[in-house]
Amino acid sequence: MKPIVRVDHLDKYFDRLHVLKDLSFAVAPAEVVCIIGRSGSGKSTLLRCINFLEQPDHGSVEVAGLVVPAEGNGREYRQQIHDLRLKTGMVFQSFNLFPHMTALENVIEGPVTVKGTAKEEAIDLGMHNLTKVGLADKRDAYPSRLSGGQQQRVAIARALAMQPQVMLFDEPTSALDPELIGEVLNVMQQLVEEGMTMLTVTHEMSFAYQFAHRIIFMDDGRFVEVGPPGQIFDDPQDNRTRQFLSAVGRFENK
Amino acid sequence: MATTTADPGSKSQAQLIFELKQRQLNRFKMGVWGSWLVLLAVLLLAFSGINFEIGGFHFRTIQLDFAFIRQWMPYIFGGVGLTILLAVLSIALACILSLLGALGRLSRFPPAYALATFYISLIRGTPLLLQIIFIFLALPQLGIVLSGIWAGVLALGINYGAYMTEIMRAGIQSVGIGQREAALAIGMNQSQIMRRIVLPQAMRLVIPPIGNEFIAMLKDTALISVTGFAWETLWRAQKVGRANFRSLEALLIAAVFYWIITIIFSAVQARIEASLAKGDRGR
Repeated sequence: MKPIVRVDHLDKYFDRLHVLKDLSFAVAPAEVVCIIGRSGSGKSTLLRCINFLEQPDHGSVEVAGLVVPAEGNGREYRQQIHDLRLKTGMVFQSFNLFPHMTALENVIEGPVTVKGTAKEEAIDLGMHNLTKVGLADKRDAYPSRLSGGQQQRVAIARALAMQPQVMLFDEPTSALDPELIGEVLNVMQQLVEEGMTMLTVTHEMSFAYQFAHRIIFMDDGRFVEVGPPGQIFDDPQDNRTRQFLSAVGRFENK
Repeated sequence: MATTTADPGSKSQAQLIFELKQRQLNRFKMGVWGSWLVLLAVLLLAFSGINFEIGGFHFRTIQLDFAFIRQWMPYIFGGVGLTILLAVLSIALACILSLLGALGRLSRFPPAYALATFYISLIRGTPLLLQIIFIFLALPQLGIVLSGIWAGVLALGINYGAYMTEIMRAGIQSVGIGQREAALAIGMNQSQIMRRIVLPQAMRLVIPPIGNEFIAMLKDTALISVTGFAWETLWRAQKVGRANFRSLEALLIAAVFYWIITIIFSAVQARIEASLAKGDRGR
């Protein structure tokens, strides 16, 4: 099957620091890929390069047939990046809901302002997505009145309202109190079951183990090990993978 | 109030401590109010015209011409409306200019950045009084003739706009990077992000400091009196004071009016600030 996301020879530097080192991979439609690794390994940067929140320095990103190279400028190039962002939805560690808008206003902001969808239609779509994340009754609540878990679910609904072809999750549960993580993972599980293509940077190893089709373990800007969860978690080949997994309590390092 | 003590008549420890703190707070407040009243009384006494003797010392206080005050107070009061109007018009102009200035300061387009910093440097580098006189007296030489009122509004607006640019810039910058990223991720462009996401949040933050600027502006409108063609509070006081050789009384009247409107607008501003703070919690 033709991949829906393809990252080709991607390099990224922060000043003189080489944070992504010639990375290439592809994601098939409906595939769930979890990227794991220590903080500073470059996993969030990789995710943010896919929708150009970080500008990569070399290589290219392809999403649903649109190839955007790392280098470029001018109106046409900016339009390409814009189109790429419309094909991807992103969920952030710190939710980043718009605090001056209600839950529903957050969700319809993209369709109305960016796509020019008629308001009634956007509200229907927004309510559909709020219902999906189980927060239809919170439509008129402002973010400060919502718990962290509820905020993150609204943020997922906001991303879904743009009808992306790929969802990017950047540590979606890392800022949550332990008792609120489950409700967010449930929504993500639901998306997996619906066949959403998902790229997730996460520390939730149980989620990765249970729902990922493929795990990428990153260290120092490189892919150390890539494979199905059974292989990565139960039979890691590289020493760095073993060390990381035993540090997070997922592997007995004998 | 629910207490866990066995005797329903006795108060809990927490309640007792709370009441003690309340009493301390009330005592402080009463002390401040009382002292204010004493200071005000001393000030009034100083202008009472009463002569008295304490322990062999003769005290003479200032004798005011109350007939003059009664006669001219309404006339001077007639300038208060214009004072407020001038401040409102000037702050409106300053808000627009400072927003543009802030956008320029944050722009990565060199001419926009240069224009903003040039404006701020030029205006902050010259006296406000000079700017007012310049616009009123120097511009006519170039064929631009403005009335005293509009010259004053233009000068105050331009001047305050330069100072308020920093307030606006701080407000805009206080909106976190995460907000921009979230907006970018749903495909918004720079101008949509500014209009829909950043400015609405920044404006809530800059309202209290702009209130402060407005209160300062209320008194700086008095500088417009130098044009001689804006019949605001200070101009009227100077006019009747000189004409009757009663500048002491006339200026005191004007001072009292400025003080009162400042107290009123400060109270209004405190309420706006409190309700904004409440809105933050309540949302």
